Amino acid sequence: MFKRFLSLEWKQFSRSSYFQKGLAIKILLIFAALYFGGSFLVLGTTAFFILEDVFPGQDPLNVVNNYLIFWFLIDMAYRYFMQQLPVMNIKPYMIIPIKRETVIHYLLGKTTVSFFNFLPLFFFLPFSIVLLFQGYAPIQVIAWFFSMLFFTLSINYLNFLLNKNDKIFYTILTILVAGVAIEYYNIYPLAEKAGIFFNTIYEKWYAVLIPLLLMVLLYRKTYSFIRKGFYLDAEISKKTETVKTSELNWLNRFGRIAPFLKNDVRMIMRNKRPKQVLFMSGLFLFYGLIFYTQETYQNMPAFLAFASMFVTGGFLMSFGQLVPSWDSEYYKLLMSQNIPYREYLESKWLLMVVAVLISFVLSTPYIYFGWDIFGMIAAGALFNVGLNSFITLYGGVLNRVPMELNVKAKAFSNTQGFNPTQLLIALPKIFGPMLIFYIPYKLINFEAGIIFLALCGLAGIVFKNFFLNKIEKIYQKNKYKTIAAFDEKA
Amino acid sequence: MKKPNSTKTRKMIHVNNLSKSYNGTTVLHIDNLEIPKGQSFGLVGNNGAGKTTFFSLLLDLIQPSSGNITNNEVIVNESEAWKPFTSSFIDESFLIGYLTAEEYFYFIGELRGQNKSDVDKLLAKFEDFFHGEILQQKKYLRDLSKGNQKKAGIVAALIGNPDVIILDEPFANLDPTTQIRLKQLIKELASEKNITILISSHDLIHVTEVCERIVVLDKGETVKDIKTSEATLQELEAYFSR
Repeated sequence: MFKRFLSLEWKQFSRSSYFQKGLAIKILLIFAALYFGGSFLVLGTTAFFILEDVFPGQDPLNVVNNYLIFWFLIDMAYRYFMQQLPVMNIKPYMIIPIKRETVIHYLLGKTTVSFFNFLPLFFFLPFSIVLLFQGYAPIQVIAWFFSMLFFTLSINYLNFLLNKNDKIFYTILTILVAGVAIEYYNIYPLAEKAGIFFNTIYEKWYAVLIPLLLMVLLYRKTYSFIRKGFYLDAEISKKTETVKTSELNWLNRFGRIAPFLKNDVRMIMRNKRPKQVLFMSGLFLFYGLIFYTQETYQNMPAFLAFASMFVTGGFLMSFGQLVPSWDSEYYKLLMSQNIPYREYLESKWLLMVVAVLISFVLSTPYIYFGWDIFGMIAAGALFNVGLNSFITLYGGVLNRVPMELNVKAKAFSNTQGFNPTQLLIALPKIFGPMLIFYIPYKLINFEAGIIFLALCGLAGIVFKNFFLNKIEKIYQKNKYKTIAAFDEKA
Repeated sequence: MKKPNSTKTRKMIHVNNLSKSYNGTTVLHIDNLEIPKGQSFGLVGNNGAGKTTFFSLLLDLIQPSSGNITNNEVIVNESEAWKPFTSSFIDESFLIGYLTAEEYFYFIGELRGQNKSDVDKLLAKFEDFFHGEILQQKKYLRDLSKGNQKKAGIVAALIGNPDVIILDEPFANLDPTTQIRLKQLIKELASEKNITILISSHDLIHVTEVCERIVVLDKGETVKDIKTSEATLQELEAYFSR
């Protein structure tokens, strides 16, 4: 039976429209997967020696064990947002004579071979091998390695429950928040205890039974959860969400574009995909930390300009690049309704500008790194508002990929709303500001670079109408192509 | 409505040498077709006859390969001036899934220059039609059943006093009670409010009951243009059972 499922799966994969079209995307994704796999592999092989250097006198394995809890927490959070559970089209199997157990085991088996489960192995396996070469006791190392594997798989099944069951999600969330609070206010050193726990697992090899049991338990739990829901009215038919209505009357002050803004706000709040984008763009706020803290970049201010752009531009770029796609599900309505394109575009532009402003306010803690850095962020924000917003909107029209709003994008296999032109359009957004900053910086000084960047942004704002008119024309010109593309369900 | 009845003979929609082809295959070809104002116009034909293609051309969702359509003297693929007085419900892609029915109606209302109370007034008239399953449901449109989605879409097409209403397969998926109410509604709109209504249907009985005029499409060509009478249903049945 499993063999037959696999062949269906393969057909679904190879006959899907995006596979046949987007070979370039596939190659890109393979590169991304190779990149991440490679980085983890390098990290796995070198971590032992790096830790030996950084924490002299400490056992590197000890150090790893002490931080493992954070590794698993990040893994969990990341999966929750990025890993889409493999949904098998169960409906057709309900009425043909296949045991339900078989279908469910297959489904769970499929989650087990997810990229998310292999990625940690790229670290743990080489790391364990290095441990063996360093003369650690083989039985203990092997048991430790399997413990890590079992923990990873436990998170895999836990993620299934988290995604499907709100009760479990909120329980776990509460426990996590409580844990962080306890740790943060020094009530009880949880992280330290977790470190001791993982060290014990290493020292007593038979403790591998703990993660093994945990994994089996979670597998059983997930299994029975799906088993219970294996009826049309339960899992397969769509879950109806409780509606949170709000009038959003405060948006009325924006006049003509108010109806669009209200719609966009509701779209973001009520659909999984835009919520995911919102979350990801929140992460961009921390982008600066990577660059501002590194000595190396202090002498390469062009890179700092690049980072500053991202601090305030996360939402602008990730939301803006999909601008008509967000409305792909009902694009025909918009096109046959009494809608001036201009107002539609303007509302999207305003949304992006507001997001930049909010990110800018949230980025004030960067003052800690000095006024130079903060000035750069401010100039970057202006540039985002004045120029990047228009470039992004322009790029959007070239991106005619339909999108399912209420489905999470899954990493490395979902290419919805993504296409290579996006990359081309991204280039000026990234390298433009770097150049605009770098030239006056080289010729005059640092301040000149910032001022020039800000001026470019201001110029963009002054010529807003000009840009919007141009973009409107392009949108209009591409109307039929866009409608036809959105009609083709991914 | 204060629209004088004398305008009834005025032409509303005019099709000139219209054709649409994909990769050399012609899917629609209509030389000449006039629809006067206030007519209820029915389009029938088997799958692939070109009904939806025609409606999509009428709404400027696809580009004609040759010729054009004028809607109240506006050439639809050249100007957008037809949009304020034309409304339509073609399929679920005309609904915004993440809105509740009320929010959706108000949104359409705002696009068509109707404030909340205007929309509420209109909706009040459709309480029977909704049968308590659309308003105040605390459900998003995407979670409504197909039939209820259709009801919401049809009523949304009536917001803002349009002169032309286009409905693709309005009877499909509706329960019998609603079908009867919808027939009543379409007749009223055409006769009392002088609204031009274009519907397509696979149900010959419904369409003959509701429409003053029926055009049969076959492989993109008009093969029959009938003014509805007692004998129409038989004529159509004879044609389709050939």
